[in-house]
Amino acid sequence: MRQRFLTLSFATMFLVAACGGGGSSGAPSTAGTGASNPPVESENAFDPASISGSVTLGQWESSPAEGTALKSAIDAFSTAYPNIKVTQTTIPGDYRAAMVTKFGASDPPDLFYINAEYAPEWMSQGFLQPLDDYIQRQGFDTSKFFPDYLSIFQQDGTTYGLPKDGNTIAMAVNTDLVPTPPTTMDELVQVATSLKGKSGLKAPMCLNPSLDRGLAFLYAQGGSLLSADGSAPAIDSAESKTAVQWYMDLFKDGLGQTNTQLGDGWCGEALGKGDVAIAFEGGWLKGAMDAFPKIKWQFAEMPTGTSGQKVTINYTAAYGIGVDSKNQDQAWVLMQYLTGPEGMAKWTSGGIAVPSRSDVAVPQGFEVIVKGADYAKPGSGFMPGYPDVLKAFGDEFLKQITDKTYDAGPVVDATKAKISAVLAAQ
Amino acid sequence: MTAASARRPTKAASTRVGERQEALAGYALIAVPMLLFLVLNIGSILYAAFISLWKWNIRTGPVTFLGLNNYVNALTDSIFQAAVTNTVYYTVIWVPLTMALGLFLAVIVNQKIRGRTFFRGAFYFPAIASSAAISTIWIFIMNPFGLFNQVRGILGINPLFALIGFGPNQDWLGDYHTAMNGIIILNAWTTSGTFMIFYLAALQAIPHEVYEAAAIDGAGAWDTFRRITFPLLRPGHFFVATVGVIGGLQLFDQAVQIGNVDGAPANSLMTLVLYLYNAAFKRLQYGSAAAAGVLLFLIIFAATLIQRRLFEGREPTTA
Repeated sequence: MRQRFLTLSFATMFLVAACGGGGSSGAPSTAGTGASNPPVESENAFDPASISGSVTLGQWESSPAEGTALKSAIDAFSTAYPNIKVTQTTIPGDYRAAMVTKFGASDPPDLFYINAEYAPEWMSQGFLQPLDDYIQRQGFDTSKFFPDYLSIFQQDGTTYGLPKDGNTIAMAVNTDLVPTPPTTMDELVQVATSLKGKSGLKAPMCLNPSLDRGLAFLYAQGGSLLSADGSAPAIDSAESKTAVQWYMDLFKDGLGQTNTQLGDGWCGEALGKGDVAIAFEGGWLKGAMDAFPKIKWQFAEMPTGTSGQKVTINYTAAYGIGVDSKNQDQAWVLMQYLTGPEGMAKWTSGGIAVPSRSDVAVPQGFEVIVKGADYAKPGSGFMPGYPDVLKAFGDEFLKQITDKTYDAGPVVDATKAKISAVLAAQ
Repeated sequence: MTAASARRPTKAASTRVGERQEALAGYALIAVPMLLFLVLNIGSILYAAFISLWKWNIRTGPVTFLGLNNYVNALTDSIFQAAVTNTVYYTVIWVPLTMALGLFLAVIVNQKIRGRTFFRGAFYFPAIASSAAISTIWIFIMNPFGLFNQVRGILGINPLFALIGFGPNQDWLGDYHTAMNGIIILNAWTTSGTFMIFYLAALQAIPHEVYEAAAIDGAGAWDTFRRITFPLLRPGHFFVATVGVIGGLQLFDQAVQIGNVDGAPANSLMTLVLYLYNAAFKRLQYGSAAAAGVLLFLIIFAATLIQRRLFEGREPTTA
């Protein structure tokens, strides 16, 4: 009698524990704040080592060196997870357009790149698989990602991508012509003025006539595009207008020219060919400058402006899984490796990319870039429809420069109108 | 074929059967291409018109019914209006320019000069070369410090350019005033070969007797061309103009290569097809893109109808 009672109660306890254990991992994840998740001990835990199968990786390849660096990371993955076979698919040409057609055909690669530029659109359109479940079940630590990299790939508290690397915009100076990089915007203007008319230089600085770099200057001089809660434009505030006019005056006073005016493909090329002494680019400049060995140069942090704080903008890309991807578990295993400390170290050791995690060693030469990640604001993907805002600003700004009228008023008006239109359409 | 009946006015049953067999054979042969045409061409147009009435998600299909809102939004969008203006401007300038060039080249290679086969090939070659490669080379040539500016500096003709307001390092393709004209010149050169071929065919359809008669009447070379050749080429003009307008209104390759996908500088290179491309792949608004496509179809259709009207009553009666 007693034995039967004990057996029954043990059996009941087992049943209750099993059912209860299955429900415990249903708690909402804290991925939105990037807090770390302790290892989950329930039966629903995800063990990457137990997964086998194959996974296709869709990527772009901006240079052969990038392909080599990624291959070494994938090889390290294959050693760590021998049961999963990775097939890389390089998508040539317009990556975004090609991927969108794949989403339309419900046949995307299992794992693929997502650039910050179109992350908001891809998340809104429902192309991407939410990752919070995997993150929580495995106990993947997302706290080490630089916060403003991860936030771009989250929408409404759900995580859709993990940043694979990240870049910030820094100042690059020709050390022969600028032995001490300026630390404030006023010093920058002084240095540029002193370089005006120097023989051999087409212009002191190479500047982009749009927000793709101008946003950093806007932030530094105390302006902003959106109000603090992101619900209204702030480009027409007094500080923002002054900031935009200040940036426009750099062109007016001949301190900076656009890359097309200089006859160069981009500002990095202008710096490398010795057309300018100062340019503003990200970590990708380092690989490009290797093709111009005669120029001695270094990175320096963005000068501080009237806002008094160090600020710059970041550009990043992430890995993501498609809603229609076939091998989602395997894709997650590859993603958690490549965005984890071990895989990212392998990927960034090739000197092509800069880590998006603070627990990965900084590759040599990128110290300034990674330092910027501490205080960088997102340079793209922080509002839906940003490419349209960028275009509205850039079109009008370029017109002002071409017509030599150098008036920031129309630029601010056009940008404000576009921001209002985009926000209203949400 | 069965033997025809000896009585002419009415046909024998065997002839009717033969004709029907022939007709069936004909339909069978064109059935497959006709089906493909109906499904892929006509079907696509109808499907696009359907998509243009909805807010459309490429994965899940129709989302919200918008009626004609996509059309209204497109027509009131300043970027779309810029696209229409640019595309029409391009077509109006580029078509006559390339027709003139093509005709000029055709007249030259129609003469019995040495090496004319080589010249025909050489003039036609740019039309079949890759448009992406040609656009890239053109960017280098038109660079502020590139070939064109350097050569005109060496030739000393810069003062002429200064008169019309262009400095020695004018950024032809980066300045929004001149970028579209730069593309017109590029495309006039590349497509002149194609138009040359069309005109060559039309030129060779003019019978010799007409020229002989003109020579007997004492007409000089220019008079012959102006009074005889040019008017007799009317079918050629019509064909070339129609093909040119249809192609011109769909300008895309060079605009996307040189204008960086968003019609830079300052929307001067935004064309209708580029607007459509951006709406579809950048903004993921497929209803909007489909509406732009339907509007483009209507514009081309109207242009072709107008041209038919213009050329209709004046078709000459050459063989």
